[in-house]
Amino acid sequence: MTSIGTGYDLSNSVFSPDGRNFQVEYASKAVEADGTAIGIRCADGVVFAVEKIVSSKLLVPGANKKIQTIDKHVGVAYSGLTPDGRHLVDRGRSESYSWRGLYKSPIGVPILADRLSGYVQAYTCYSSVRPFGVSVIVGGVDKSGPHLYTIEPSGAFWGYMGAATGKGRQAAKSELEKLDLPNISARDAVKAAAKIIYIAHDDSKDKDFELEISWVSTSETGGDHQFVPKDLLDEAERLAKAEDDDDDDDDDEMDED
Amino acid sequence: MFRNSYDNDSITYSPTGRLFQVEYALEAIKQGSASVGLVSKTHVVIVALKRNAEELGSYQKKIIRIDNHLGIALAGLAPDARVLSNFMRQQAMTSKMVYNKPIPVARVAHEIGDKAQKNTQTYGRRPYGVGLLVAGYDETGPHLFEFLPSGTVLEYFGAAIGARSQSARTYLERNFESFPDCTAEELVLHGLRALRDTLAQDKELLIQNTSIGLVGLDTPFKLYDNEDVGEWLEKLGDVGSSRGRRQAEEAEAEAAAAAETSAPADEDIPVPDVPAEPIETDD
Amino acid sequence: MDHMPENWGRPRSDVYGSYQHAIHSAGPQSHTQVPSITGTSVIAMKFNNGVILAADNLGSYGSLARFTDQERLIKVGKETVVGFSGDASDMQYLESMLERLIIEDNYEQDGHNFRAPHIYEYLSRVMYNRRSKVDPLWNAILVAGKKDDGSPFLGYVDLLGITYSSPCIATGYGAYLAIPLLRKLVSEDEDAKNVTEEQARAAIDESMKVLFYRDARSLDKYTVATVTLDGNVKFDKDVRCQNMNWRFAEGIRGYGTQKQ
Repeated sequence: MTSIGTGYDLSNSVFSPDGRNFQVEYASKAVEADGTAIGIRCADGVVFAVEKIVSSKLLVPGANKKIQTIDKHVGVAYSGLTPDGRHLVDRGRSESYSWRGLYKSPIGVPILADRLSGYVQAYTCYSSVRPFGVSVIVGGVDKSGPHLYTIEPSGAFWGYMGAATGKGRQAAKSELEKLDLPNISARDAVKAAAKIIYIAHDDSKDKDFELEISWVSTSETGGDHQFVPKDLLDEAERLAKAEDDDDDDDDDEMDED
Repeated sequence: MFRNSYDNDSITYSPTGRLFQVEYALEAIKQGSASVGLVSKTHVVIVALKRNAEELGSYQKKIIRIDNHLGIALAGLAPDARVLSNFMRQQAMTSKMVYNKPIPVARVAHEIGDKAQKNTQTYGRRPYGVGLLVAGYDETGPHLFEFLPSGTVLEYFGAAIGARSQSARTYLERNFESFPDCTAEELVLHGLRALRDTLAQDKELLIQNTSIGLVGLDTPFKLYDNEDVGEWLEKLGDVGSSRGRRQAEEAEAEAAAAAETSAPADEDIPVPDVPAEPIETDD
Repeated sequence: MDHMPENWGRPRSDVYGSYQHAIHSAGPQSHTQVPSITGTSVIAMKFNNGVILAADNLGSYGSLARFTDQERLIKVGKETVVGFSGDASDMQYLESMLERLIIEDNYEQDGHNFRAPHIYEYLSRVMYNRRSKVDPLWNAILVAGKKDDGSPFLGYVDLLGITYSSPCIATGYGAYLAIPLLRKLVSEDEDAKNVTEEQARAAIDESMKVLFYRDARSLDKYTVATVTLDGNVKFDKDVRCQNMNWRFAEGIRGYGTQKQ
């Protein structure tokens, strides 16, 4: 970033001479500093997982949820400034709430992603606001099937079969590519997600983290977004831990246990 | 004038993705005296150290009751806390009025978090300059949340904010495993011991400067101030700062060796060089 | 030629003077003053392990039996049932409000769930608010479920915003025809402790039969919902009135082919 300090990076909505919006790029830095979040689109749903960095042992385990629900059928996971993520979730909730009020039906996931990205984009256009410091993975099941999108601080949004943001996104992405997407079952996707979060976690930087997994699946949750049941989470975590300890660099096939 | 060019307002990211104005707001919390909170299986306790600006002035309120099942302790800009506590009271009353239900602690805590976030994303506003410990009891049990100006809201077994709160946090970290089975009384005493560790060395807990809030199972939010604190301080016994005690012991030993008395040491908090005029904190 | 159809066939302005628009907006503004498609009574009573409700499946259009498959008991949240009598479109509006209320309540899966008293309070606020705008939602509503302390809850709210609780409640004709039958079993809250689900069900079935005998806007097909204190909600749909005996009808003046 050679233009740092030239003054073009001090205000949102200002282009540098070579056509960049630095404030948006800086917002992405906030995303890269936070724990990894991933999303997997599976055969009949979507699975979310986050690596929640535990900054103090006084924090109540399992209490401070990072994955949120936008509507019955839509979940969201994000990396970056958590309060910004909550702001965007709030917006998503009012979009889908008013959709239900108008049309008496659940909002389509692509439409929701489109509207949310429009909202995020607007925060890159004015000097009176700052861009969102989050990359948001939003997904769910609607009448046309499962959908998964990532919305970046610029407002760009892309559809994915497997998505990752945050610190460990590179490692997570290369692991996601090894999965049989989108044919993987929701249950296998949960196990894969746990494994990927463990691989993406960097022991040298943050020692302690909590694994959080949720899913939306036609077969498993009746199309509702829920946290996975404790026994499944425990099993997925146990498998992930075992594999993480056993072979760090072995690129074996995924454990389909 | 500024430390760098990225800290003029709360809506400019630094090249590393930080928001300096928000981080400075977090510093404002440390300008206020300490508040400590802790949770057992049945109760939540918040304790706080009050300051008075001058000898003849009253002590600044540190613990605010929100509802029968809910209260907050603050550190930082007290007027900001009043704005937030008014908002929380409105939310609590609305919940009772519309749903006939005491507002869940987690929800009201997140409401103010979401409110604070908006101040960090819009020009012409400033982040709140106050940290809060939100303590409450609802149908899912006792809860303690820490609210920060960034909009961050996290649930803790024990938390401390304000000047020298690290000392209290150290106490909490050493003892929190015993908190769940504590009685309400033991919990208050743990809180007071943690609070005592934040005292400047020549200070002690007095009925004038100590506030205690207690809420829990079959215990509507109760605020102990002034005379009501007396019984708790009696139970606590030693009310002096641990630093003071340690220093007193050392001084005694020294005095025994050398007959000379030493001059009283300065307060150990480094004097910040920034504020030319006093900012309105809860002192 | 006047090409505006809305002006055709009206008194000629050149003869009678132009239409005075003030007439249209004269007087107070009025909103809905009659319901359209309606449902008749909802009846409910407490028993030793919960609350039982029933409502038939008829949607009347005036005296016309317009719809015979209308469901008027709905589950709201995990362990609450709401029963509607009165206007069907207002019921559907309230249904969608309640659905969104529950979706909001489930955003955070934090162990907090609205139960009957909370839903009842919310509906009461909505109903009273609308009546205060002189634009009421044309319903009488029963809310059944569990109180915060785990005991059975049953409450009534109507288009005027009137609220009350009682161990037996019925709306519409049910208030006249079913309540005496239900109160034979349970007249005070304590009585409910001595009444089993089977006894309560029998009283409900009997009441629905009597209502079908006497209420001309009723149907012999109905739904029974039971909320038990363990948090279970059970729906028994397409129930038919059993062992009916219409011989009494012959004695009714104006019935059938009978002469005065």
